[in-house]
Amino acid sequence: MTLFRAFFTLSRAAQRQLAFGAILACLAALANFGLLFLSGWLLAGAACAGLAGLAAQQAFNMVLPATGVRFFAMMRILARYGERLVTHDGALRIIGQLRVACYGRIAPQAPAILHAQRGGDLLARFVTDTDTAGQYYTDVLIPFIRACVCGIFFIAITAIFSFHCAITLAVALLLCIVIAGAIKARCATLSDRLSATQSRIQSELADTITAIGESLSLGASFHQQSVIMQCQAELSATKRHLAALENGASSLIAFCATLTALCILFFAVKDFQAHLLTLPEVPMLVLGGLAAFDVMSPLPTAQKTLAQVHRAFDRLEDACFSNTTAKSTSNDKAFSDYSSLQFENICFRYSGQEQDIFHHATLCVKQGERVAITGPSGCGKSSLISMLFGFYPLQSGRILLGGSDVHTRTPEDLAQVISVAGQDFHLFNGTVRDNLLFANPASTEEDMVAALHTVQLTDFLATAPNGLDSFVGDEGLQLSGGQAKRLSIAQALLRKTPWIILDEPTEGLDATTEQHLLEQLIAARPDATLLCMTHRAAVLPFMTRVLRIQDDAFCPSEEKKP
Amino acid sequence: MQSSQSQTQWQLSGLTRRARGLLGASVALGSGAAILFVWQLSLLAHLVDDLTFQGQPLTSVESDFLKVIAFSAGFLVLQWLADMAGTEAGLRISASVQQDGLKHLFRAGPVGSATQPTGQLVTTLTEATTALEPYFAQYIPRAAMMVVLPLFILARVFALDGWSFVVLACTGPLVPLFMALVGYSAQSVMDRQWVQLVLMGSSFMDYLKGLRTVRLFAQTQNSIKAMTAQTEAHRLATLSVMRIAFLTSAVLEFFASLSIALVAVIFGARLLSGTADFRSAFLVLLLAPEYFMPLRAFSASYHARQNANAAAKRLADLFTLPAYAAARYGTEQPKHAGSVEALSCHMLSAGYATGKTEQINCVTATFYKGQLSVLVGESGAGKTTLLRAVLGFLPLSSDTCAAFDQNGQSIALQNCRMAWVPQRPLLVFGTIAENLRLAAPHASLADLHHVAEQADILPFIQSLPHGFETQVGERGSSLSGGQLKRLALARALLGKPDILCVDEPTAHLNSESTASITQTLSRCARDCIVIAATHQDTLISHADQVLYVSQGHVTSFRERAVA
Repeated sequence: MTLFRAFFTLSRAAQRQLAFGAILACLAALANFGLLFLSGWLLAGAACAGLAGLAAQQAFNMVLPATGVRFFAMMRILARYGERLVTHDGALRIIGQLRVACYGRIAPQAPAILHAQRGGDLLARFVTDTDTAGQYYTDVLIPFIRACVCGIFFIAITAIFSFHCAITLAVALLLCIVIAGAIKARCATLSDRLSATQSRIQSELADTITAIGESLSLGASFHQQSVIMQCQAELSATKRHLAALENGASSLIAFCATLTALCILFFAVKDFQAHLLTLPEVPMLVLGGLAAFDVMSPLPTAQKTLAQVHRAFDRLEDACFSNTTAKSTSNDKAFSDYSSLQFENICFRYSGQEQDIFHHATLCVKQGERVAITGPSGCGKSSLISMLFGFYPLQSGRILLGGSDVHTRTPEDLAQVISVAGQDFHLFNGTVRDNLLFANPASTEEDMVAALHTVQLTDFLATAPNGLDSFVGDEGLQLSGGQAKRLSIAQALLRKTPWIILDEPTEGLDATTEQHLLEQLIAARPDATLLCMTHRAAVLPFMTRVLRIQDDAFCPSEEKKP
Repeated sequence: MQSSQSQTQWQLSGLTRRARGLLGASVALGSGAAILFVWQLSLLAHLVDDLTFQGQPLTSVESDFLKVIAFSAGFLVLQWLADMAGTEAGLRISASVQQDGLKHLFRAGPVGSATQPTGQLVTTLTEATTALEPYFAQYIPRAAMMVVLPLFILARVFALDGWSFVVLACTGPLVPLFMALVGYSAQSVMDRQWVQLVLMGSSFMDYLKGLRTVRLFAQTQNSIKAMTAQTEAHRLATLSVMRIAFLTSAVLEFFASLSIALVAVIFGARLLSGTADFRSAFLVLLLAPEYFMPLRAFSASYHARQNANAAAKRLADLFTLPAYAAARYGTEQPKHAGSVEALSCHMLSAGYATGKTEQINCVTATFYKGQLSVLVGESGAGKTTLLRAVLGFLPLSSDTCAAFDQNGQSIALQNCRMAWVPQRPLLVFGTIAENLRLAAPHASLADLHHVAEQADILPFIQSLPHGFETQVGERGSSLSGGQLKRLALARALLGKPDILCVDEPTAHLNSESTASITQTLSRCARDCIVIAATHQDTLISHADQVLYVSQGHVTSFRERAVA
């Protein structure tokens, strides 16, 4: 359980906070017990003294118990407020650390890890599961610690007065823990079902919403709705079942409290009749017995939460920690030699595929070249990027940049030298400026304007409502497909790396824009080594060499340019 | 749930109406439980007094023991039923709101719902609806109990002892007063926190979707730092709410503890002087904590209300998404009339409410069955907008777009079978067959074969080890762009469309595939109207009708001479 370990290896400050929270929780429970216990004694004692005549009245010391009552009252107020604040802060720290840890684990395994899982599902895992996991401290650990520590304390206090009452209380408190334990297995099953259904709904919704246009035009919207409604009915049934179980267990514990109070009363009266107890101690013990159950009543809820927490931890582990081979993502070992890029006899296929996309393919590109790579769709032009960056392992062969194997380094190292404008680029929900700065945080305003000019977005910049600060929308949806594509090329240019890989850079552009873009691209970066996957003939004259992917390997193109 | 809905419907008071009966039952059962509970405590107090001060023997009070047990059991059963009724109300409301939300998204369509990120819409539909549950399951019943139980207890105490009545009656109303005062300031801070939570939710989705880009730009460490900063901001925002929200319960705690202490001390003094009896004193001491208990339970569910309020606001945001697609895609399955022979646009104008500059103005054109029509123009000229307008994803003024059958009778556009293959087609998680069957859930394997063949993707599917049962991965990530497009085309064809709109069908395809897709589209054009936006020369040369789009206008036509 790597995550459970991570959970407890929080910073020292956070650990102290967690312990402090638990202590405050116990103090609050003890103050509550003390308040009622002492109040019971005070009333009965005063009543006894009042009935016993003037001498007894004057002998009765009101001040001390009255002060005690006030003390417990104040302590209860302060401890409860402190407890809630401290424990919630602790829980939030845990959640934050879990979130960062999960993202940090997913990132080095991306994008391969995302193939096996659904985006909506990962979002559900991230938000809901880290939240649930954070509840482990406030809603599980604290109630159980409090029940155990305070339970022992209550029994000990009762034992000072009456052995029988103490035994009764001990048995009853144990019984409560047993009741809470009894629902554990059922809670776990139901929670499993609940979380499975929840993530199914989330994925279905994510799928449905992303493909809303397709669904509508295909007439699939009614079917999609009924699928989601079905999931929802399942979800409600499970939630209902869980609530019945939890409330039932709480009721049983409350019933135990009444029975215990009656039993304590019975034994206390017997002891009183045997002169083992004074009269005021009888109501005191009864009240103490009732107050003791305050720490027991949260246990069924804690048990339910525990089941959910376990499931959440398991799934987080599963999503983030299943693969431990991920390399670090720090980029401090940049390649010093990038005079050539060599693909040596590589075989490559995605896991689960039967056929190699590349089969003993070899390619060498020297710095300063501009190479076009053409080939039929699906031949692996785009896979070249994934392969080069080591997002997926090669079956055999190696890729060398300036003589060193790129797969011994991280994609981040390689990205210091090579910029990519791929087909599956992603624009972040923010402004044009945000997205450009994301590519290169050191860019100046002039750099950005120049890059946008190169990719023929000057007109766009002029007409956009807020210029560089115009929002691109979720996934750049506020832009047209061609504009978004060109913005991604501008991002790649801004990084000023010696190598640039462009995947279908002029797709979706009209011939004039295409021509201008290529001219200015080369004028802006005449020194850059260009690798351009394309099938557009207009691109080829700008290149120094044209290669074709054929029979899963690189061949010189017949229509090679001089 | 069809037509325009007033804003208030998505406020909590409006939602309460959806499960009024269950909530009423919950409150009634809870009140019954409260009566039994007060009764049970009275019996217990009597029993303690009888056995101690009255000196009765244990044997004479056996029946009282049993009575206490019976009342306790009765109280707990009623309480359980009340809780379950509340839970049911919460579940029903949240489910019905989720359904309505989804329906509204379908009414908004792809363009109408594009202003909110997908991640955000998903969290709204799942988390915001879930946040409504505790409000109806706990907050409302507890709010009612907060009035009912203290009143019973006050009435009981009034009958017992004047002084205690004064103490409880004075402290009781002060609690909600102070809580409300503190609650107001908590609310505004809460709103900020909710926005942050939602931003976090969708920003993670954003980072996740862009992780490949993040890595290709060597920004992985920076993005982790950004995440760290965001979670810390989230913690601080939440804490600032809690510091105030918990103050409300501290106020409550103060009065609760104070009045127990007061009752004990005042009664102690009076018992000592012999002006009060132990039986009443003990009962008041038993009742005093219970007097504040519902307030405590209520305040524990107080942020259920805050959450639900914020959730209701977010839901209202979702319901204000413009219902662009509602005119075309109603709440009922379309009734397909005859086959559509022609689609005519007359002075058609459409655009987006905000942001986007792509508009189309006064487009007049007619598309015929049996013809392959092609839209050409610079990127950003409005080709996609025109396709979206034809597809009904953008609102049109009436009479600007109409469909006709072979007799020249007009067919309602709602009853035309549309199909759309967008620039970046999306596949849902599942197998190839499941994706194809989106259009026709009951299509046979033979049908699938047929459309796959038409879209020129059958050989590829058959080359896969699992054929049609192959998983496509997240959004078809295991397929190439061309394969994705052809699969989307096959899916569109399975629905036997009247009008097929295709955006850049040959983008990312080599000349062979381009030729074959062009062939396919020409073939499709025999049975339906095909409109394709493209830059591709091959496709343009095979078109029967070419429309040049420039700055939102169709500037010229070219019809191919009949061969």
